[in-house]
Amino acid sequence: MSPIVQGLLTIVIGVGGCVGYFYASNLILDKVIFPIQAKNPGRNINRANMVRPWLFLFPAMFALSLYLLYPVVGSFWRSLFNRAGDEFIGLGNYASLAADSTFQTAFLNNLLWMLVVPAASTFLGLLVAQLTDRIRWGNIAKSLIFMPMAISFVGASLIWKFVYANNPDIGLINAIRFAFGATETLDVLQLRFWNNFFLMAILIWIQTGFAMVILSAALRGIPEETIEAAIIDGANPFEIFFKIKVPQIMGTIVVVWTTITILVLKVFDIVYTMTGGNFGTEILPSYMMSYMFRDDGRATAVAFVIMLIVLPVMIWNIRQARQEMK
Amino acid sequence: MKNQIFTAAAALALMSTTALADGHLPFAPGEGAFSWDSYTAFAEANDFAGQTVTITGPWTGNEKEKFDAVVAYFAEATGATVNYSGSDSFEQDIVVSARAGSAPNLAVFPQPGLAADMASQGLLTPLPEGTSDWVAENFAAGQSWVDLGTYADADGTDQMYGMFYRVDLKSLVWYSPEAFDEAGFDIPTTMEELKALTQQIADGGETPWCIGLGSGAATGWPATDWVEDMMLRTNSPADYDAWVANEMKFDDPKVVAAIEEFGFFARNDAFVDGGASAVANTDFRDSPTGLFEIPPKCYMHRQASFIPAFFPEGTTVGEDVDFFYFPAYAEKDLGAPVLGAGTLFSITNPSDATTAFLEFLKLPIAHEAWMAQGGFLTAHAGVNLETYSEDSLRAQGKILQDATTFRFDASDLMPAEIGAGAFWTGMVDYATGASAQDVAKGIQDRWDALN
Amino acid sequence: MDNIAGTKSSLTWAVHLSVALLVIIWLVPTVGLMVSSFRDRDQITASGWWLSPLPVTQNFAVKAEGDPVERDGLFVLEGNVFGEGSGTVSEFGGRRAAPTEFATGETGTLTRDRTLSVQADGSYTYTSPAEIKRAPSIYFASETPPEFSLGNYEQIFSSAGMDRAFINTLTVTIPATIIPILIAAFAAYALAWMEFPGRGLLIAMVVGLLVVPLQLALVPMLKLHNAMGVGQSFLGIWMAHTGFGLPLAIYLLRNYMVGLPRDIIESAKVDGATDFQVFTKIVLPLSFPALASFAIFQFLWTWNDLLVAKVFLPSNSESWVMTVKIADDLLGSRGGDWGILAAAAFVSIGVPLLVFFTMQRYLVRGLLAGSVK
Repeated sequence: MSPIVQGLLTIVIGVGGCVGYFYASNLILDKVIFPIQAKNPGRNINRANMVRPWLFLFPAMFALSLYLLYPVVGSFWRSLFNRAGDEFIGLGNYASLAADSTFQTAFLNNLLWMLVVPAASTFLGLLVAQLTDRIRWGNIAKSLIFMPMAISFVGASLIWKFVYANNPDIGLINAIRFAFGATETLDVLQLRFWNNFFLMAILIWIQTGFAMVILSAALRGIPEETIEAAIIDGANPFEIFFKIKVPQIMGTIVVVWTTITILVLKVFDIVYTMTGGNFGTEILPSYMMSYMFRDDGRATAVAFVIMLIVLPVMIWNIRQARQEMK
Repeated sequence: MKNQIFTAAAALALMSTTALADGHLPFAPGEGAFSWDSYTAFAEANDFAGQTVTITGPWTGNEKEKFDAVVAYFAEATGATVNYSGSDSFEQDIVVSARAGSAPNLAVFPQPGLAADMASQGLLTPLPEGTSDWVAENFAAGQSWVDLGTYADADGTDQMYGMFYRVDLKSLVWYSPEAFDEAGFDIPTTMEELKALTQQIADGGETPWCIGLGSGAATGWPATDWVEDMMLRTNSPADYDAWVANEMKFDDPKVVAAIEEFGFFARNDAFVDGGASAVANTDFRDSPTGLFEIPPKCYMHRQASFIPAFFPEGTTVGEDVDFFYFPAYAEKDLGAPVLGAGTLFSITNPSDATTAFLEFLKLPIAHEAWMAQGGFLTAHAGVNLETYSEDSLRAQGKILQDATTFRFDASDLMPAEIGAGAFWTGMVDYATGASAQDVAKGIQDRWDALN
Repeated sequence: MDNIAGTKSSLTWAVHLSVALLVIIWLVPTVGLMVSSFRDRDQITASGWWLSPLPVTQNFAVKAEGDPVERDGLFVLEGNVFGEGSGTVSEFGGRRAAPTEFATGETGTLTRDRTLSVQADGSYTYTSPAEIKRAPSIYFASETPPEFSLGNYEQIFSSAGMDRAFINTLTVTIPATIIPILIAAFAAYALAWMEFPGRGLLIAMVVGLLVVPLQLALVPMLKLHNAMGVGQSFLGIWMAHTGFGLPLAIYLLRNYMVGLPRDIIESAKVDGATDFQVFTKIVLPLSFPALASFAIFQFLWTWNDLLVAKVFLPSNSESWVMTVKIADDLLGSRGGDWGILAAAAFVSIGVPLLVFFTMQRYLVRGLLAGSVK
């Protein structure tokens, strides 16, 4: 069966199945189990309404537990076993990770990514949001800076190969260096330590648009009066920006920051396509890929380390959400 | 007759779009020096119309096209559809898909080490009975190929899992005869001369070598070949074997010295195109094109016999480019060692058509069809050597014969985590500035962690 | 006053300039890719894409074929480097190492008293005191006009297998976008407008799961798929994408639905509508903007994904999606073929860019619903 036919069939079955499930389960609940026409219509309606949320929730909760909740437990459990999965070795995988110098590099690089990428993206996003706020072609500028959001990490990596290439006729960086009199090409992806920043630049390029869009909306939400009051007080534009605007949108800045932080921990594509983790650019997700299905114990241990790094963000997120609900 | 065959091929092409879309029959059956008789007999005895054989392997691009053409003969003979896909991350993908139960029928392993790994996890099916006897009888130095394809299964019993198809000769240096002629260089016959020539070219303001280690997820492997060749030129074959088995530690001074021999060429800015820093990040497939540029970016390129597949289109080996034996030290008295490797077929998902495909690989035609396309050497003793596309391939055959020592690629024999992992990345580190001692120590540590 | 107006206008100029600069920096890499995708392989390596509208000087080699004639005790070969064609030679040489040694019109002296002269129109004269046994090579530099063509695109669609990958990507993307929306919409409604114990806990769980790294799921889920007999297949990747997309879908949709006017929903309920009716007749149509924005998100995410495709789809070329095709095949086998790479990348980012520019409004709205209250 060709994948296209299979795909169409899946859409039909999937959509039909979902609609059918929701419709039929509601119907059964109302007509068969707790019929309104029965002796106690009031009690039955109440009972039906107690069950109904779970009918609505069931498919989603099932999929969520299967694909996200179970793996957290399952991965942790697997990470306690050896390579073949037949011998319980406790925290052995974690111990051998800690002793592995490549893991240490990957871990430190990841911390660097988590510091630099969200900071730079948020800063640049805020800058663009503020600068484009008052100019006439601001929307076009925003749209163009937002554009990389649509590009895959693989596509973005290829785009940036045309910037970083170790050849003055292909790579923009080397072309510029040659224009300023350099005679030797420079492979920026091999500059130890600094190459990490060149890889991060790709993600910053993608994420700045995201930060810009949200922060720009937040900036517009600031009450005009506070700014007018500051102008009357004689504040200059910089003071207005840093002392009046930024504090008011601090909450949004934090949200943007954490969202990008979480994303950073998922991105393995850029390193995979640009350097394959060589030249000291390994990060945890790409390091995990090199072990996955060869040594699942180790791979899941790496995944769990990533999970541990995100944990504080997760807890903070949940607390925020609960506060809002109250 | 010819017309009929072409119509048949066209009809087949319509039926099975994938296998034949790129691969038609490049050599009309019945013509030329090919061994058609056994092929015709095979075609009559086998009919697998409607069945599909899936194969994955490391050959992509130009090599995939050539293999597709070979496979077309099997499709033509049996009516089966063959679907070959090559991937740069074959080493990772095959393990994942074997575990997932979506493995192809056959896998083409570039490394016996990885195949042995998978056999021990029970992910491979032993070859049909009698294959080992057949290989022992019909391959040159047959028993050694049987040994290289025999691994312990999940219970520890030795079984034959791998059938070698395509042998690569690694100890070759490629050069442009025209460029050598115009510049007045002589072909070096000893390592001392080679080093002197390297220095001479660099002194003349030009670049002697093109070296590229890039290869996607397998980046670094070309350097392992250099080191292995250097091991054979500075140490005895017994030492080499001990190294492969890790009886000699990876950070043994002898191994470190061999790595540094590679560094003599690769870590000198004046000796390599683009400077030492370009080595690690230049793709091995792009690297030899430097020989063909005007003016040339380099004069020599050390790479295995398969590399002509990546030369620019229209390049004739023997005219535009030729090779010489990567020479040994005159003073060390280690003879003329030769490093080789090979790819092997293993069954990852058995079926009748798959067994038939392995039978097909025993036919001389399966080898001749690629030999005639170039870039292919075989250990099969029954093939007609006339079908080699170029004299140069015959000459490579001669290097094989003249070898006083033949050794299989060490990285291919080491456990996959070393030979297809730590050794690769270690060499990238070395090429980009780490010390040989540290790199060797790091690899040994990883090896120790395995046990 | 003048002074203040002056600084103000210079500040405005600074703003315009810096925005323009940022936009250029942001745009240049993509433009480079686009330009390169239309250029010929040899031209790409001969000059940077930023010089692509200008003619390119390339070096060529030709063999001086033909029968030498004996003249004044010398063996002479004559002909034209362009053969039947035409062109302009700027410099020439007799050695590969020095292909532009001599200017046209000069007579260059080569080794062993041989001489070579090439005119600007390409006609050459090669002389040798000894008999010429092997056709010598003549090297020359010539300008080629800029060339733009669809050649790279034709090649990736005809021989490189990108067409197949394109269809596979579509096949993965569409079901993986539609199905989670439906499932999530019901759940979001329940979490937004139905009262039941444990609701707060469930919302917290969804928020928590937003953050769970995907990597954690790969090993256990593929194992589970194997055990269920799904293995690596399109069905498997649809299920996986559905599972991974749900937290964001529920979160976005719930946030939006909570903001719908309470009185509409309550008056409908007073009129006797059931929850199911309220949901399908009122909430779903009103939530269209949120549904659209999640659809765009999920579409971009699944279209651009490499990781999930590498793990949950079979690793043969039949089922490669475009990202895998580029990362695992083209980058290697065509590593130096920049034109092919650029064209492939451009095909893979073309559809998302189209979706992006036509539906940007919804995307922005969705982002805001997700992050700003």
